[in-house]
Amino acid sequence: MTRLKAGGPAIAKQGILVAFIVFMIAFSLMSDRFLSLDNFMSVFRQAAIIGVMALGVTIVVIGGNLDLSVGSMLSFATVLVVDLHDKIGPELAIPVMVLATLCLGAINGFLIGILRLNSLIVTLGMLSAIQGLVLIYSGGQNVDIADQSGTWFAIFGRGAMFGIATPIIIFGTMALVFHIIMTTMPFGRKVYAVGGNPTASVFSGIPRSRVVFTTYLISALCVAVAAMILGSRVMGSQNNVGQGYELQVLAAVILGGTSLLGGAGSILKTVLGVLMLAFIQNGLILMGQPYYTQWLVTWVVIIVAVWLDVAAKRGRLFSPIA
Amino acid sequence: MTKTMRILLASCGTLALASAATADTVRIGITQNNVGIDSYQTTYERAFIAAAEANPDVEVIVLDAGGDVARQISQMQDLIQQQVDAIIIWPTDGQALVPAVRNAHRAEIPVVVTNSNIAEAGMEFIAAFSGPNNVQQGIYSAEMMCDALDGEGQIVQITGMPGYTTAIERQQGFDERLAELCPGVTQLDIQPGDWNRERAQRTMETFLTRFDQIDGVYSGDDNMGVGALNAALAAGRAEGMVFIGATNFAVGYDAMARGEYWGSVYQSPVDDAEAALQTALDVLAGEDVPKLNYFDTPKITQDNMDEFDRPVF
Repeated sequence: MTRLKAGGPAIAKQGILVAFIVFMIAFSLMSDRFLSLDNFMSVFRQAAIIGVMALGVTIVVIGGNLDLSVGSMLSFATVLVVDLHDKIGPELAIPVMVLATLCLGAINGFLIGILRLNSLIVTLGMLSAIQGLVLIYSGGQNVDIADQSGTWFAIFGRGAMFGIATPIIIFGTMALVFHIIMTTMPFGRKVYAVGGNPTASVFSGIPRSRVVFTTYLISALCVAVAAMILGSRVMGSQNNVGQGYELQVLAAVILGGTSLLGGAGSILKTVLGVLMLAFIQNGLILMGQPYYTQWLVTWVVIIVAVWLDVAAKRGRLFSPIA
Repeated sequence: MTKTMRILLASCGTLALASAATADTVRIGITQNNVGIDSYQTTYERAFIAAAEANPDVEVIVLDAGGDVARQISQMQDLIQQQVDAIIIWPTDGQALVPAVRNAHRAEIPVVVTNSNIAEAGMEFIAAFSGPNNVQQGIYSAEMMCDALDGEGQIVQITGMPGYTTAIERQQGFDERLAELCPGVTQLDIQPGDWNRERAQRTMETFLTRFDQIDGVYSGDDNMGVGALNAALAAGRAEGMVFIGATNFAVGYDAMARGEYWGSVYQSPVDDAEAALQTALDVLAGEDVPKLNYFDTPKITQDNMDEFDRPVF
């Protein structure tokens, strides 16, 4: 039954939290601008787009699969909602975009859940197929919203409630809901079971195909929400706006300690992973470091975090026999 | 006159006519970088085809490499096989295409490189380069910045994708000219925005947190410039801040019309395409064409924007 719970022994669960705190202290010492409410709010807001997508991908990964198509799916959804905004109005553009994005998720879910194809191959293929779809749809043109100050569509990316920016509220609420689903509801337990031991889950009467299919629908829904935030924040979209986002999302999920083998992981730790990546990016610029040192630092941090995670589970740092 | 002679004469006449026709029409093949990936390249292709159709003496073979170096190399070989009169190439990779360009040169087919130049090693094999002068664009932006700030102030710079020639050359032109023309303007920091508006917006948000006083922002293109403007507007600090870009986009043009954006550099894909075709025709006509043919990319500011059409991208 321990397999059904996220993570291993108690100490292993805290690796990412310790790393997070160490980074926060280090950045606070190196830049006097870092530790301020304004900066934190700005980082949370910036993290929301990657964050919302990472929530969905976490569930896919816990279910034992990958989703690399989220980057170009984000381009697709953002171009669609921004383009339709001026043509049919936001109240229609949003549902159309959500439905279209869910269709893409359903294609992923069908190929991986029902036909049981390898998720790496399918979503890598979808990554470029969807990018092609975006280019055909837009004919290579950028899309923009003409009336940027008058539209209520602005609330998703630029609005605020009780002094907190809407993207933060959306990200926070979704994280909380997903956390409750994954920890207390039957669906969550089924996802852990399917990812942990697919064969055993089928013998236990869990509808594996349907569970995997649903994880891809959830991932697509998250992309649709991220597209609303992105489109509203930028008030326009390039064809390839989501290019490379899939790797940032995956990095956040891995940093959060979710096992790529499936069956283990946690929504709240993905949130930590997302925030940590955003703070690294923010902190390095505040310190005046070139942006690309972020790539280096990020992956060093991820590899060290994964190592500590594994070491804590094994009970020692080096284990040549593994 | 015997029957045989008449046939001979007639056939000579036909031959003469046929050779006259081939002398007048020229066949030009073009292999483009990646049509459809952005509005600039899409508009470029349309303008190129339109310019070719407007000229009855030109027949064009239009190819697109889809961003793929290998495909572009085989397209070059195809064009050489077809013995076109001239080849125009928009290199997917300035270095990797040098051998293909050399093959065309050996087959005595003149090559015109368009938009982005080929690597230094390939320069001896090309007839001419036709495209924008990115260093000059950086210089123009520096001059506008200096002008707008009256020679005093603190600015930040958001560059394009690291490693891209366009990004490197614009930054080089800007940095050098600014230091020389305006020693009173200091650059607080330079960070890449990867040609991505959302990324530029994020970078600018962090700049705003980090620096209490920012007088101006130079962005490697208007798309990123508008991202930076969005960030400043949201923070309530856009008032009095000078935004200068490059490659004037429709969003930048509109922001300029609203008085929020100071200036940019106007680079038209239509001019780019027409200049490429004209350069190839000049080469074929045997004219003395300079190796580097830059088409004009003028400064556009709030003051003179009426002289320009709103960009289509």
